Amino acid sequence: MRMKTTLLAAVSASVMMLASPGFAATELTVQRFFGACDADFGTNTDVAKAVGECGIITSMINKFNADNPDVHVSVTTVEWPGYDQLTAQFASGDAPDIVTIHESVLSDYQSKGLLLPLDDVLNSVGVTPDSFTDAARNGVTRDDGKIYGLPIDTWSLLFHINMDLFKKAELVNADGTPKLPTSVDELLAEAKQFKEKTGKPYFVQPTANETANLAWNLYSYLFQQNSDFLADPTHVKLNTPEAKTVVNMFRTLYADGNITPNLDYGTGINAFLAGDGGVHLNGTWVIGDYTAASEKSGTALNAGGYAVYPFPQLFAGDKAQYADGHTWAVSQKDRTPEQLAAIGKFLKFFADNDFEWSRTGHLPAYKAVLASDAFKALPHRDTLAPLAALGRPLPSAVQRRFAIQDIVGEEMNAAETGQKDTDAALTDAETRINELLANL
Amino acid sequence: MADQLTIRETAAPAAGVRVPSVNIYAPQWRNFVFVAPFLFFFTTLLIFPLFWGMWLSVHKADTFSTGRFVGLDNYVRLFHDKVFLQSVWNTFYFVLLTVPTLALIGLFLALCLNRRTRTAAVLRTLFFSSSVLSVTIVTLIWRIVYIPNVGLLSTIYGWFGATAPAFISDPSLAMIGIAIATIWWCIGLPMMLFLSALQQIPQDIYEAAALDNANRWQTLRSITLPSIKRTFILVIIIQIVLQFQLFGQAWLMTRGGPNNLTKPIVLYIYETAFRRWDLGMGAAASEILFVLILIAAMAQYLVTRNKGDQA
Amino acid sequence: MSASATSIKGRAFGDRVLLALVILLSIIMIAPVLWVIGLSLKENAELMANPNSVFHAPYTLKNYINTIGTSSVFRWVLNSIIVSGGLTLGTLILSSLAGYGFARLNFPGRNILFVIVLFGLAVPEQAVLVARHQIFSMLKFHNTYHGLILPGLSASFGVFLMTQYFRAIPKELDEAAMLDNASRFRIFWKVLLPLTVPAQATLGIFTFLGAWNDYFWPLISATKKDMFTLTVGMASTQTNFAQSEGIGFLMAQAVFAGAPILIIYLFFQKYIVTAVSGAAVR
Repeated sequence: MRMKTTLLAAVSASVMMLASPGFAATELTVQRFFGACDADFGTNTDVAKAVGECGIITSMINKFNADNPDVHVSVTTVEWPGYDQLTAQFASGDAPDIVTIHESVLSDYQSKGLLLPLDDVLNSVGVTPDSFTDAARNGVTRDDGKIYGLPIDTWSLLFHINMDLFKKAELVNADGTPKLPTSVDELLAEAKQFKEKTGKPYFVQPTANETANLAWNLYSYLFQQNSDFLADPTHVKLNTPEAKTVVNMFRTLYADGNITPNLDYGTGINAFLAGDGGVHLNGTWVIGDYTAASEKSGTALNAGGYAVYPFPQLFAGDKAQYADGHTWAVSQKDRTPEQLAAIGKFLKFFADNDFEWSRTGHLPAYKAVLASDAFKALPHRDTLAPLAALGRPLPSAVQRRFAIQDIVGEEMNAAETGQKDTDAALTDAETRINELLANL
Repeated sequence: MADQLTIRETAAPAAGVRVPSVNIYAPQWRNFVFVAPFLFFFTTLLIFPLFWGMWLSVHKADTFSTGRFVGLDNYVRLFHDKVFLQSVWNTFYFVLLTVPTLALIGLFLALCLNRRTRTAAVLRTLFFSSSVLSVTIVTLIWRIVYIPNVGLLSTIYGWFGATAPAFISDPSLAMIGIAIATIWWCIGLPMMLFLSALQQIPQDIYEAAALDNANRWQTLRSITLPSIKRTFILVIIIQIVLQFQLFGQAWLMTRGGPNNLTKPIVLYIYETAFRRWDLGMGAAASEILFVLILIAAMAQYLVTRNKGDQA
Repeated sequence: MSASATSIKGRAFGDRVLLALVILLSIIMIAPVLWVIGLSLKENAELMANPNSVFHAPYTLKNYINTIGTSSVFRWVLNSIIVSGGLTLGTLILSSLAGYGFARLNFPGRNILFVIVLFGLAVPEQAVLVARHQIFSMLKFHNTYHGLILPGLSASFGVFLMTQYFRAIPKELDEAAMLDNASRFRIFWKVLLPLTVPAQATLGIFTFLGAWNDYFWPLISATKKDMFTLTVGMASTQTNFAQSEGIGFLMAQAVFAGAPILIIYLFFQKYIVTAVSGAAVR
């Protein structure tokens, strides 16, 4: 049956090609975030030359278009994360064919029946779920056991370290690696020592205009304490001793001047690049930029080097930290076999070229890439490799995770910066989230 | 002086006005043609959606499915939500910060710049120019003013070895920071409206006042201000309506933080309807905002009107 | 005699205080803009090292070249012009007609209708957004120019403004013509409309600016790259989290997006000045 349609498609395609010189390629609409960089990479098809999220994804799609004259992908770039637009598009029945969606958001759209299960499409092009890393596979598989997104990476928050300041603070092991804490008390003590020796805060963390960063920190340290705060996906438990421990830890650090105050996301990056603090709590996506800065003489990161590690294990529970991933999801609509085949090609192209995407700093979503020498040869990947096993998302049945993350982040921000009692903040977070989840 | 904001006045020619032999002001259906085109768009794209919103507000609805009738549940949930109540207070606080300031600075600038010199013309252009920028650009500009490190404020404070106030993240300053950016952005319109009112005051009144040796303060109080009373009410009402709908500045500068202290009602609506997909509750919050704006604008109007009548 | 002397002295002093205040306000108006332009002309790395480097060379146009290099940017400018222009034209026509109708003519239900139109001023966009979006989905109006223009035509402000202006015109001007039984449209067109040119200019400019700067409706209605307006398009080019282009690039974008409208404003501003001078109305 499939054979027949494929044959038919091939025949009709060749007939069309013969019939008209203006042969129409199968048109696919792709919508993504990651920004626009047409000035630098608008026509680049040599993916190896591209750098950064925007450069690499632009070049990859250019290359896909060049390699597949029978398919034409037109790209719409949207402002990160683009879900307001996507929701509006779905509501008006005008969604793009393929769209970037976070693993943590897939369930929102999937639960409304808006996404196409990809199992058949992936099967037809020979991409099998067992090639995904466990983290990626978990992230894209929903409760019905089907796959709703092609994973392209796993990302997480990391400890980005200014080694020059760590040396000055005498927080370096004999082998030259940074000395990282193994408990809350150690973290507080080392932060104090850091401040005494360098006069600077241990952490660079955005707290102005920021919710995600704080929420991800809380999730990670709750995992490390085996706190199953979303055991029931429709009811959160946050007013717990475990959560209080984490929030109070950050609250103490902030009150003692061990976390940079008043920075937003962008100024946080600038502050770290200028050497204003020891550890930047930021994601996998800045590894490339920071590595580049550390190789340029005269910069704060060049002075003593740049290192990057997963979160240290501060508690006695699971070895885990919060992770999410980017995926390509496909909207549910009537399609011709040619269109489905083109979508399959596109997804396969990204599965096959995941190494290129992993150069952004994100962890690859494919076991083979993770194990490859090429990936291991990339800077800092040795210290980051454990992340593949550490990375853990929220339970897959939890919906509205971006909204939940905003609430958690808002309340934690208020508690960390001392505007609100820890207890009050956690109680409010719990109440607000449960109100949200009770009214889905 | 005819108060042209009221419709009462124009409902029928006032007694005492010479009544023409043919009553040209008698109601006639054919006159309706002039307002019909606008009313068509007004009804289909504003009134109808407004009622649709009211209907949504008593339903459990999300973006992809309209569910069951829930009566006033959405409203009850709203009034139990601390963040919503906070957002109502925030909105009033913001209106209080901006509207009087805009009216007073606008009036001040109009009084100073109401002259025929070239400098005045250039300054009028300058003070109006910020109004042409979009909210995305205005907030980008002011974030760059406020942020640490490369911020304009922190650079200036840096020259004196001081630390600039954290207008975006300090809980007691954040709303003021947004208000400053808003006043900077919106000052052009009140100034222009006052200017246009000032220029409609007949010169001969001033000449008479000058002959009476009235000083500038007396002239201002007894001639200028009474003559622009109507414009003052207009400016206040327009600004109340506009500033109650604060959204872009808060969304783009502070995301409603810190601790929800700069989250206005519209941002709450946006998050509820578009982030949480809870259209029913978002619609309910919209209705409350609509009612609040109506009350505030009408109260302001009635209060100023009464005062005017007594004077 | 002496009283008048002090008054003149006081006046000079008062003038100076006023002048100082106006100058201070002017600086507050202009300094942030100059700062943004300065940042847009700098390499990011240099800014990071020292923000005071804004005050000296080297300057670069690289940030602007990157902005213009986004292939669709001129298409977005064109879209913004079409949408803003279309909405302005439509608003002027509808508002002038309705303003004349409400101010000068009588018809059954006029007063209650005018009150309802005034209430329209108080309706926040968010209260009607969802329903509008659903209606436009049914009509397949999304990703079209009329889809971007039509919602703005329902705004009451223009009608309110034009009604006020028509009312301010002395009745004697058109009463005679009315008594002569000239057609209402003729009176509107020949007698009254020419007198409202300043108001038209004011309304036109405000409408154009509002449409040019609108962000939220275009964001959810124009979702295809070719239909983006400049505000949405510019936002779409800003990167995820990497922000490697940095502050200089963002500032260049701001200048690029703001410049056309500022130029249009400077070009038309003498009409605005005429409008506010209000000579024609008097």
